[in-house]
Amino acid sequence: MRARRRVALAALVSTAALTMTTAVVAEAAPARLGSKRIDNVIYLLGDGMGRTHVTAGRDRFYGASGSLNMERLPVVGQVRTYAVQENSGQPGAADFVPEYVTDSASSATAWSSGVKTYNAALGVDAKATVMPTVMELAKQAGYRTGNVSTAEITDATPAAQMSHVLARGCQGPVYSAASCQNTDVTGGTALPTSDLRVTPVADQIARNGTADVILGGGLARFDEADERALVRQGYDVLGSPASQQVATGSELQATRSRKVFGLFNRGNLTIEKFKQENPDAVQAEEPSLPEMTRKAISLLDRGRRSRGFYLQVEGALIDKRSHANDAAQTLEEIKAFDDAVAVAVDFARRDGHTLVIVTADHECAGFGIVERGTFTNAEATTPPNNVDSGNPANSSTTPVRTGQTKDANRSTGPLNGAGSGDPENFAPATFRTADDPPSVRDGSLEAGLWLTYLSGNHTGEDVPLFAFGPRSGALAHTVENTDLFDVMTGALRVSRS
Amino acid sequence: MLLAAVWLLLDPEAGGGDPQAAVQTSLPGLEPATAEPSLPGLATLAPDPGTVVQAAGPFDDRFRFERLRFGDGQVSGAVAVTSDVSELLELEVLAGFYDRDGSLVGTGRYVHHLDEATTDPGHEGAPAETHPFTVAVPDELADRAVAAAVGVPVLVNE
Repeated sequence: MRARRRVALAALVSTAALTMTTAVVAEAAPARLGSKRIDNVIYLLGDGMGRTHVTAGRDRFYGASGSLNMERLPVVGQVRTYAVQENSGQPGAADFVPEYVTDSASSATAWSSGVKTYNAALGVDAKATVMPTVMELAKQAGYRTGNVSTAEITDATPAAQMSHVLARGCQGPVYSAASCQNTDVTGGTALPTSDLRVTPVADQIARNGTADVILGGGLARFDEADERALVRQGYDVLGSPASQQVATGSELQATRSRKVFGLFNRGNLTIEKFKQENPDAVQAEEPSLPEMTRKAISLLDRGRRSRGFYLQVEGALIDKRSHANDAAQTLEEIKAFDDAVAVAVDFARRDGHTLVIVTADHECAGFGIVERGTFTNAEATTPPNNVDSGNPANSSTTPVRTGQTKDANRSTGPLNGAGSGDPENFAPATFRTADDPPSVRDGSLEAGLWLTYLSGNHTGEDVPLFAFGPRSGALAHTVENTDLFDVMTGALRVSRS
Repeated sequence: MLLAAVWLLLDPEAGGGDPQAAVQTSLPGLEPATAEPSLPGLATLAPDPGTVVQAAGPFDDRFRFERLRFGDGQVSGAVAVTSDVSELLELEVLAGFYDRDGSLVGTGRYVHHLDEATTDPGHEGAPAETHPFTVAVPDELADRAVAAAVGVPVLVNE
């Protein structure tokens, strides 16, 4: 309705004041970019999804010569993910101080607001200045907006588009000084609780109307007052924050509202592997990421007469299950995310005016694919040999290493074990691939995919990027994560300056 | 200007051209917090002397209490997070202390906040799931507090 009013208004004004309408029509109608204009931007990210996650998913589900849906996109690039320290300037500034491994909050702020910031910050730069987000600018310009995640919707990645807080832990339902304040970036003084930057994310999301369609988890972060605020703004609230009744897949399927708030779990959504193995469980009724993506697109897309839409989709559990070093669950989350990519690309191909960007915020856990039959450093008595007496040029002084053998006390051998429940469980987990004969089982020596982890935390790797649609060629490079802000705002013809 | 005014009149969500105006800094109807988090259920409990009971909170399906104990002027135990294996960003355990009549006479709290800017260099590997806590009985209640209740009003995993 809003877009129709705009078009009608532009037509009305054009008859009355031609010189004035020139700019208005340009603002109201999609700009031409060569033969293609961009009406919509769909930004999908696999949280914690490094290059190895993609390759492992490919091997598992499509085989060595196959491709994930994201890999079939025509444009490939990679993204630098580093953050900065508190009170740092931006890259190039005299007071720039990098932080080489980012968290999800800093990374999400980079593409959402176009600035490097400190780990834990959302929607503010490293000096605590509030920065508008792509989603806010898109909303202001009349685009419809959506935010979909398998995490709590107050979690860092979705929250970065529709809230501004000093600390990502300030999620709600209530304020606490420890979780919301950060006097290191506010001159040593706590902010008043009326300040947006210490207002819990849930309170902001429920009242600022930044996203028209909000789908994910995290109902426990919202309360009765939030529900009233959402209803006042015209949201179709699926389930109930007041009663903590989660939304259902059937409710999602039924709604046709322009504004939808649906949280399908009190916490993060349930992992795909559990739902597959427990189809009768109540959690199996939660919509999948591709289902939520398809529905979000259908709710947001109002056709050619509309201004278009901006949608963010997060496969959050890739990261959360990578923290747990659970490769079996991680693989299924990669598959679900990739299926969501297919939904977005299918729409984009039909639409012809949609830019699709697929990337990640950072790598998680140092995921590795090792040669079948080998073992990891974590299983070894010592690190690999690094002393070459025949050619000393091959040797360095640090570290000095001798031979390497497997330590039976640190290795169960290849076995898909129970994590810290088994102190010898540093061995690779093995999985059958699409190339393996049907008789090969996960966890066997014969399985083709041997997966390892370096740690239980994030790493500083660059992450892959895939893109499709108008302007996607601008991403066929190594780009900063902040560059994604410029690409998306440019595509949507909005600006923060 | 006239056009902009008419435009905004018909479409108030358009928000004009000021990018900073895209950020909604005032949130209608939201009362700023005036205190640290509480748990209404604390006032309805009346634990027996020497015991510790659990007060209901918004995240009770994400953790379980272990090794709860009241004595030596404190309530102690551990929070075992069952929902996530990731860094524990925020945890508050709110303790209520009760007299012999089962009346709530005061509170104390344990606060965990992970400062991501000052990572512990000794921290390695996957995050722990179990987090011990201790809340001391306030000095002024030392002679009166004989039981406790604990609950979790704040819990955030990465």
